[in-house]
Amino acid sequence: MLVTLIRRELLDNLMTFRFAAAVFITLLLVVVNTVVLLKDYEQRLTAYNTATQESHQKLRKEKVYSRYAMYLTVHRPPNPLSIFNLGLDKQVGNKIAVYHAFVPTVWDAMKHGANNPFLNLFTSIDIALVFQGVLSLLALVFAYDALAGERERGTLRLVLTHPIQRGYILFAKYISAMLCLLVPLLISLLLSIILLTTSTSISWNVDDFLRIGGIILTSLLYISLFYLIGLCISAMTRRTSTALMLSMFAWGFLVLVYPNLILTAVDIVPQPETQTSAYNQIKQMWEELDRENKKFLRNDTVLGPLSRDGEAWGFRLKGSEYSFLRDEDEPSTLLYLYQSGFYAGKIKAESEPHVPHVQNYYGFHNREVVRTVQRTWLVRKPALEAIYIQPAKFGGMLLKFSPVGLYDAATEAWAGTDLEGIQDFFSTVRRYRRAVIDYFYDKKIFESRQWFAADQGTADWDALPRFSFQRSGVDINAKRALPDLCLLLTINLILFTIIFLIFIKSEV
Amino acid sequence: MWYITKREIYDNLNSLRFALTTVLLIALMATNAVKHLREYPKRVQKYQDAATESLNRLTDRADDSLYKLAQYGPGDFYKKPSPLHFCANGGELLLPDTVEVREPPVFATDSDDNVLLKGIWSLSYPDANLQNKDVGPNVSQVDWAFIIGYVLSLIAILFTFDAFSGERERGTLRLMLANSVPRHTVLIGKFLGALLSLSIPFALAVLVNLLLISTANTVHLTTEAWGRLGIIFLLALLYTSLFLALGLLISTRVQRSAVSLMMLLLMWVTFVVFMPSTFASIASSFSPVVSFDEFWKQRNPVREDLWDKYEEWLWSEKLDDSTLRAKSKFYTENAERDERRHEERLKYWTSQVHRARAITSISPATLLQHLIEAFAGTGFERHLQFAGNVQRYARQFRGFVVDTDRGDPESLHIIGVREGMSQKSVSSKAVPRFEDTLSLSKDFNTVAMELLLLALFVVVLLAAAYLAFVRVEI
Repeated sequence: MLVTLIRRELLDNLMTFRFAAAVFITLLLVVVNTVVLLKDYEQRLTAYNTATQESHQKLRKEKVYSRYAMYLTVHRPPNPLSIFNLGLDKQVGNKIAVYHAFVPTVWDAMKHGANNPFLNLFTSIDIALVFQGVLSLLALVFAYDALAGERERGTLRLVLTHPIQRGYILFAKYISAMLCLLVPLLISLLLSIILLTTSTSISWNVDDFLRIGGIILTSLLYISLFYLIGLCISAMTRRTSTALMLSMFAWGFLVLVYPNLILTAVDIVPQPETQTSAYNQIKQMWEELDRENKKFLRNDTVLGPLSRDGEAWGFRLKGSEYSFLRDEDEPSTLLYLYQSGFYAGKIKAESEPHVPHVQNYYGFHNREVVRTVQRTWLVRKPALEAIYIQPAKFGGMLLKFSPVGLYDAATEAWAGTDLEGIQDFFSTVRRYRRAVIDYFYDKKIFESRQWFAADQGTADWDALPRFSFQRSGVDINAKRALPDLCLLLTINLILFTIIFLIFIKSEV
Repeated sequence: MWYITKREIYDNLNSLRFALTTVLLIALMATNAVKHLREYPKRVQKYQDAATESLNRLTDRADDSLYKLAQYGPGDFYKKPSPLHFCANGGELLLPDTVEVREPPVFATDSDDNVLLKGIWSLSYPDANLQNKDVGPNVSQVDWAFIIGYVLSLIAILFTFDAFSGERERGTLRLMLANSVPRHTVLIGKFLGALLSLSIPFALAVLVNLLLISTANTVHLTTEAWGRLGIIFLLALLYTSLFLALGLLISTRVQRSAVSLMMLLLMWVTFVVFMPSTFASIASSFSPVVSFDEFWKQRNPVREDLWDKYEEWLWSEKLDDSTLRAKSKFYTENAERDERRHEERLKYWTSQVHRARAITSISPATLLQHLIEAFAGTGFERHLQFAGNVQRYARQFRGFVVDTDRGDPESLHIIGVREGMSQKSVSSKAVPRFEDTLSLSKDFNTVAMELLLLALFVVVLLAAAYLAFVRVEI
């Protein structure tokens, strides 16, 4: 009996205009956007490759180790799954320096590429957005007359004259509508994947397909949720036109109005006190370091007179060619650092006796810098979290009161373009920085002559640890998406129960 | 005709959709007003602090000497926040709100860090703020442009999708046409009825919004601002008519109202939600991958080295006329070159943005967005206007320096060099003030094309609805 019911419903749905329109419009939007997004991805990939190449070459041109502060940069590759959900992939910086004088975070990253920054004025799009907007609308259009329509036409009465439980009818309607909605979802995704695999620039692996599978699963739950909302409205109203109107307003509110309204209404501002106090603390640590530094220089019998009141501008070594300075002072991201160095091509014989002292100084200085940075990081990390991550998480949480927010968060997590996915990259960079420092300690590079002079052997950049970044495994993506998926599922179940109760009790 | 209009309005007033619309629009508009009242004073405060500091700097320099004024220029320029910011946000977060005056470059120092050669100021235009610090969810602000562009247009569709198909289903259309009413009267009646019954909740919401904003003493709206608000209100009605006309058109051609709604919604989603972003992506992928630096190199292959050109004079410490003149020329040409490079860069990027904007104008939602931005005095065009005003002022300022210098008989009238210029202090009142003027007629000019296009859309759709309705069988 159930099968007959499902078959009837399925045929009813499949032959309608709305089904044809649903398939057509989803296909059109997904295909067009895939092509556009693919092109965009390829551009970003090219920019990434060029930038990586350039950084590689620039570093190779340097002869002394201390210059790595300017030129050891790593780049974040664009995420191919950003086509499905863009998330933060484009918004957040993708070029970051690796340097012992600061701990790299998302907020220190710059952007590579030649893009016109004003083009960011236009909103960007991804496939999740298409599903989010179109499929939810279609789900409601399929649902609004499912019960109210039959009641109006009187067919519901007819069906109930047969010995069928009401639950079966509901279930049959749900299953058949979901099957119908699956068709545009799957066909359009299939087409988009085919389009994506034709591109040579993306190499897909098994994990990626599993992630796409996760996105499909999330989409399914999302569509089902909207279908159930529609069904709920349909069960509660007597007339189809009322049901339709209510469904459309529900859609407009949940998809269009709520996400924008709530973040406008609730003012999420980070506390500026945390920021200033943390920044001052960090600055103090650096000033302390500076004092230590100057004390060391003054106490040194040779370097003391050479450095004009404790400044390490080349120590008047004969043969030093230029000095350089790298300083950052960004109260908004709590970044403060001050590093100077110099480059000597060939140190003349008269300055030769000073060289061991200079080496000794840099050994001391760099060790102290690494230690200070470690200390500032203890302050900076929680402060940055309070300033940036907590408001972001709070905003995300507010959005999750609408299914749209849940869907967006879950698909972002699957695609790995959410905040945690981006943070993965930066924690890899932090590990890499640690590896570089360890390598420098191991080879005693901080106190070596090659730190500043190029006359007795130059820096060997190829021996430096290599940077490589792998996106986190699909299990981690799944773990991050799971809470939202569970929430979606629970809301689905609750709604289904509510509809069931309403339908059981309602008069026909 | 008035009977039909009146009947439509009565019909609508009692309907569920009317109630829901009113509630929704009022909630949105009230949130918008509250947000504006919360943020606008902060924005104004920030602007005033910055502008005062910049003015103080100018006064200090003027008090010092005319030479100082010529060397350091005026202070940085700041864009005044628009009081109509609540109408259109216009990507303000992304757009820079200053044009900077660069410090004079130091060309040479001696071994004791004493400056030997120091140039003169030039303008520079900051890049868009890339906002990579914020990692929060990315949503659009609820401003009038959003409320009108998205919410009101959706509601317009919900008001008209069953205008004819619904009556046809119920059989009342046949009844109405049995009377001696011409069909076009029916159509116009329906259209006006829908427009009026939609403008009632909208006007109500706007009223709530403006009441909240104008009663607060933090925001002061001038007469011109009220005029601009009036224009924006009319634009909203024009834009709504577009969707009403579309609704009527589809509703006449389609037999069942459910199908009509389906078609309308899909069209709405495509045109309003997806088209702007998709076309913008297409447009930006067409824009050349060449970065501005490469473009600049291609344009100016032989970089004439100013240093080489003037070297013989630059190191001389003589104070004769030719040396000073050469130095002055060197400084001015350097400043001009820097400034031109910055200007070209802005132009290069602007042309790309304009191309993308032109392509996205296919979507009426984007047209409306641009129009509201223009009349609210926010957004990209406003930024360009601001930059243009600054450029004009910079010319005026330079002219003022030259003229004042001419008035001093002790000066050699060689601009930009200490020894060649008047050392007298200048009354800070005499220095021209920067005025960031906005004129309504100019705004009209910039968006005339868009206005025309929007009107054209409405006319075409109305005509199509008329033709369709006249020919359709009931």
